[in-house]
Amino acid sequence: MGSYFSSERFLERIGQILPYLVVNLKMVFWSMLFGTILAIGLAILRLKKIPVIEQILVVFISYMRGTPLLVQMCIAYYGIPIVFGNLFMSLFGINLNRLDSIIFVSIAFILNETAFLGEIFRSSILAVPVVQTEAGLTVGMTRLQTLFRIVLPQAIHVAIPHYGVDLIGVFHNTSIAFTLGVLEMMARAKTLGQASGHTIEGFVVVAIIYIIISLILKGLFCLLEKKLNTERR
Amino acid sequence: MEFNYSYFVTSFKQALLYTPVTLKILFVTFTVSFVLGILIGAIRFYKVPFLSKFFSAFVTVYMGIPIMVALVLYNLVFLTCYTDFANFFHISKKINEIDQIVIAYVALIASNTCSMSEITRGGFRSVDKVQFEAGYTIGLTKFQTFRRIIFPQMLPVISPGLLNLLIGMLKSTNLVSTIGIMEIMVASLYPCQETYSYLEGYLAAALMYWIIGIAIENLGHLVEHYSDKYRKKPI
Amino acid sequence: MIELRNVKKKFGNNEVLHDVSLKVNDGEVVVLLGPSGSGKTTFLRCINFLERADSGKLNFEGKEIDLKKARKKQILEIRRNSAFVFQNYGLFNNKTALQNVMEGLTAVQKKSKEEARKIALDTLDWVGLKDKADFFPSQLSGGQQQRVGIARAVALNPKVILFDEPTSALDPELVGETLAVIKKVAKKGITMIIVTHEMSFAQDVADKVVFMDGGVVVEEGSPDEVFYKPKEERTKKFLARILHQDMYYI
Repeated sequence: MGSYFSSERFLERIGQILPYLVVNLKMVFWSMLFGTILAIGLAILRLKKIPVIEQILVVFISYMRGTPLLVQMCIAYYGIPIVFGNLFMSLFGINLNRLDSIIFVSIAFILNETAFLGEIFRSSILAVPVVQTEAGLTVGMTRLQTLFRIVLPQAIHVAIPHYGVDLIGVFHNTSIAFTLGVLEMMARAKTLGQASGHTIEGFVVVAIIYIIISLILKGLFCLLEKKLNTERR
Repeated sequence: MEFNYSYFVTSFKQALLYTPVTLKILFVTFTVSFVLGILIGAIRFYKVPFLSKFFSAFVTVYMGIPIMVALVLYNLVFLTCYTDFANFFHISKKINEIDQIVIAYVALIASNTCSMSEITRGGFRSVDKVQFEAGYTIGLTKFQTFRRIIFPQMLPVISPGLLNLLIGMLKSTNLVSTIGIMEIMVASLYPCQETYSYLEGYLAAALMYWIIGIAIENLGHLVEHYSDKYRKKPI
Repeated sequence: MIELRNVKKKFGNNEVLHDVSLKVNDGEVVVLLGPSGSGKTTFLRCINFLERADSGKLNFEGKEIDLKKARKKQILEIRRNSAFVFQNYGLFNNKTALQNVMEGLTAVQKKSKEEARKIALDTLDWVGLKDKADFFPSQLSGGQQQRVGIARAVALNPKVILFDEPTSALDPELVGETLAVIKKVAKKGITMIIVTHEMSFAQDVADKVVFMDGGVVVEEGSPDEVFYKPKEERTKKFLARILHQDMYYI
């Protein structure tokens, strides 16, 4: 069985694949950044319960949570050029069909995260007792002051563990981006395998990188949570 | 290129045809990982020597591997190693006689069992210690206490987590398409290979998944409501 | 002077306040009494706009405000001139005792940090909790939390402090320390409206006792009048019941 797995090739693969981790992390960074910003807006909008908008948001969230990310990615990839192609062509002279697929994948990730993080933020805000808001108001603060000084700091505390789990989930999800031709770790492992005829080592390297980064992220969030807890208690 | 409604309908019909396949994968994965998950959760909760340490390390590490990576890796190992493996153990089945869905099950079940064991462990912890002791004091064995007292009390606590996991599982069955197994998405893309218009196929698949997801969610809430009955206090 | 006239409030079909009026002079301590569900707490919350009354007028220091139609600015002005002490303390969980007291001084009254800190420390000292300044609410006992709540209210130097059953969430042995602090506030001459079930405390501290039942004011007068010479049957019944309960406790 030794011929399937050579430790020399394994070591070689580490150097060949590790640089592509940056691509995965980039996707994580952008989708978390924009996802978080949009999600805060989504959470606040949903808490306001504006008719019609509320129903639209519920459908949006249900769709994002109820359909596979791979399908969402492909819909973004094929759908965005069809819907916005002419507009972008005439306005900016950009041919959307020529854009790198990582852009469409990232858009799908961002929309997906908006829904997931939005629900995390909303439930975290709801988890803060009403009396906290009331106390803020009776002290004479405005609603906005109460939200930013009293409610949100407590809500963030509730949200952080869920945010951590979600972040690791996004990192894992980047492993499906290669199906649309994004040049990241999986894609690299695949092409290296095709060129040499030995594929297994490459994917083992990918799996190990995923494990290590996941553990590091998990550890970081545990630390953050502990730090916040000792500050409080 | 424009959206073509009749392509969409054709794709959706194909998706409908293969819905039972996806549901079967989902059902098998859920059932097996539920049983294994409870087992591992119990081993970790009751601190069975050696095994509990082993599984706690295994779950922590294995949960770092994305299902997609596991799926591709296992498939690869299967394709390259099976023939030698079969020869070595004198297994007469040829590689093309084995359904690749086995690989899919291994990858899906392994990952989901890990998540499931985390959920059930949380469930064990949520039950008051006195409940265990009360069971033992009336002479029930550990297993009897678990089955008659602890498990029914765990269920309402873990059911929201189970429901979330089940929806996640449904979505993860979609990934098996990458190793060439027919399921909803592959089926709905089938007509697209003639029309070269893929958007309709993906939208049809999305709609099908969405419908199943909503159905599972509503069914789950019904079960939750039922299993939560004893906790409602008369006030 | 604070005057409320014809306050009405419904929750769905349940009429909680049926035309309640109350007049409180400057420096006066008014105690609201009554069985649970009589609308005392709702009435108190309406004054601070934590509940929006269906109708009614509020005259605060000569300014007339419609309770239903009050605009944001008016509400903010009432809240900035009054303070509220909650039944469940309502301390900001993410802030220390000191920060709880400072919060209104810096965020609302725009005092400098040093000044706010000094006032807050003085007030905490005044309620006997200077040594707990850097503790978070979760690290304090119920009685200590409520004293911080009172310090937070007093530090703002409000025209009136509203107390919503300030001792009813406390363990019996912690009630005394809290009532002592409230008495201290009363001696300062701050106008107070207090909802409470503590009878002897009410007798001690109140200038005026108002008995409410079923969403209306049944009877009001000096503590002596209401406690010892009640005119209304409902008041008599309520007092008899409460006094009996007290006896069981002894």
